[in-house]
Amino acid sequence: MSDAVDMAPAALSAVCSNLSKACAKQLRKREADLFKSLSDYFNSKVIRVADADLNQLEEIAKQELAKNYPSLMVIAEEAVDRGTQRALTWGKKVTSIHTSLLARYQKQKDALLENNNLYVCEACGFIAVAAAVPDLCPICKAPAARFTKIS
Amino acid sequence: MHAARNISLCTKDCLCLFVCPTGATDTETGQIDFDRCLDGCRLCVDACPSHALYLVMDNYPEPKRKSAQIAKALQVLMESKSAQETVASSLALEAGTDARKLLAKAFAYSNRILSEDCGREAGFMLPQSAVVRDFLVGLLDQPFDEAFPADAVRELLELI
Ligand code: SF4
Ligand code: SF4
Repeated sequence: MSDAVDMAPAALSAVCSNLSKACAKQLRKREADLFKSLSDYFNSKVIRVADADLNQLEEIAKQELAKNYPSLMVIAEEAVDRGTQRALTWGKKVTSIHTSLLARYQKQKDALLENNNLYVCEACGFIAVAAAVPDLCPICKAPAARFTKIS
Repeated sequence: MHAARNISLCTKDCLCLFVCPTGATDTETGQIDFDRCLDGCRLCVDACPSHALYLVMDNYPEPKRKSAQIAKALQVLMESKSAQETVASSLALEAGTDARKLLAKAFAYSNRILSEDCGREAGFMLPQSAVVRDFLVGLLDQPFDEAFPADAVRELLELI
């Protein structure tokens, strides 16, 4: 049996939302809807963090950059697992941009978004702070159409 | 295997309408009529001047299994991304200003995408794979509450 079923609800939801997207790409609408209903169920089981703050995000991201990414990269290289190396290369960049974005926000506060919008790349998760949607994702090179404006 | 159309690339030149032996390319929805498409024909795919047509497989080869060690480590990273998503989405609910709320939403959204990517590389890439089947079967054994859509899982096991 898969040990993935023991993961926290938010992670189970992500497994299912990803499979929903994969079905949609194959134009399997029914399957996409079913995986989506599973993903929604797990989302509804996520226990909110009572005293959430931005520092917690920074802490976890820094931990990943110091530990998870370097150690995973070593085993992915040893196994010549190019797919995992790709995910780690993008993920590490996106995560370090998270930490610098948090630092910028601590300094500039809400002024950071005064004349800017937030766009997220659907392919790699890169967050752009910009007045207009980027032409190209600087991390994974996905085109402008793959960015979602946060509203 | 059947053809499918990416509507946003289609320039409506209609060469696919001329070549299709069954009329499957000419529909009111703009999508190919999958039921009338002949398995493996691909005439329209080669004829389309806009690269708007492609083939979708019915069966995919079983993907190469990930090493257990890498899959496990990716699951750990995935949980860490999901933890950040949870912090950020909690923050978005209680954020004092609009800017703060937007920033929290962007972090939640981004971490979901990062989490999904770890999940794909951990083996949850192809819905029709054995890894996904094992996962679905495993879900049915878990003690979730009565709101859990077990019927959806059973239907998926039938369909994929
Ligand atoms: S041949 Fe291509 S561009 Fe022309 S109508 Fe068909 S799909 Fe559209
Ligand atoms: S693959 Fe052949 S049968 Fe199917 S839609 Fe294209 S031309 Fe028609």
